Amino acid sequence: MSAKIDFSKISFLVVDGDKISAQVVFDTLAYLGATAVQRVKSPNDAFEVLRTQRIDVIVTEWRLKGMDGLEFLDVLRNSINSPNRFVPVIMLTAHSEQRYVTTARDLGITEFLAKPFNAKALYSRLVSAITRPRHFVNTGTYFGPDRRRRQVDFDGLDRRSSDDK
Amino acid sequence: MTHFDWGTREIVTPENKTNKKKAQIIPPQMDLKRRAVNFVKGFDINLSPQQLEELEQVVQRSKETFVRDIGKELTDCRKVVVAAVGDLSKSPGALEHSADLAYSVKSLGGTFQYPLMTQIAKSLEIFVADRTKANMKQLLVIQLHIDSLYVILASRVTGFGTTVEQATVAALSKLSERCELPRE
Repeated sequence: MSAKIDFSKISFLVVDGDKISAQVVFDTLAYLGATAVQRVKSPNDAFEVLRTQRIDVIVTEWRLKGMDGLEFLDVLRNSINSPNRFVPVIMLTAHSEQRYVTTARDLGITEFLAKPFNAKALYSRLVSAITRPRHFVNTGTYFGPDRRRRQVDFDGLDRRSSDDK
Repeated sequence: MTHFDWGTREIVTPENKTNKKKAQIIPPQMDLKRRAVNFVKGFDINLSPQQLEELEQVVQRSKETFVRDIGKELTDCRKVVVAAVGDLSKSPGALEHSADLAYSVKSLGGTFQYPLMTQIAKSLEIFVADRTKANMKQLLVIQLHIDSLYVILASRVTGFGTTVEQATVAALSKLSERCELPRE
């Protein structure tokens, strides 16, 4: 028997100023059985929702009017006034070049989905955000999910110095 | 450890260790997984090909809206660009409008089986990026991009098209490169 995801138990917030793009995400989530899906056009509206309701997963576009998706993520992860610093965030964007992915990752994105996307890609990001929660790392310069996805065994000498030595 | 610095020819003693903040590892938040993942109700984590096809059809529901809305946006943007060709002081507005349009088409074209539109929109996006002004030639390049997008949409050219369409995309990119400067 394989594991399933009951999407009716999850509340989503879609932050996207583009009507069609937001509709595609909304339709997909509705088809999957999600009943609590909120749509807003700007980060300011998103913060309003986040302050008053419990949101489990945020799906946001990078290019937004006013504050963009990155600034939204930055405030969400790093501000002391953030309503939820740990909420999984899936970023959708047509900026798919490596530097954009790296920037988003270093600001604490949970999943990154390059546009144009298909249903399979969107579903896989949702599955990953829901079923594979990652450790959070808090350093002086970064707060967000652990950026190392792969745990690779290393059988060489440990040459890294440690404070304990 | 102290060491001899060949640059300054002095013995250098490192400063006291700074109190660097150690990384704090916070365990994963399992509440969401606990609530939503089960063996009874919902969608399999690995969807079957049939389920994926159904999901793709759901995405495609918005295809007609895309064709209608983008068609209108292309028409509107073309008007703004044509107006700017007649009056260059309007070029900042035309550039902003074109940049928004390019991003929308680039991000959604491929999703609705119009990857060729995504390619052309990408070329347009690169061309208008970081520009605040455009000269006559540059505005005409923008207009050509918009016209090409409109033709593809109106003719419903899905997929990457034939060699003719690919040659058109290549020609647009080349033209953009040629009219790239001045970028202001």
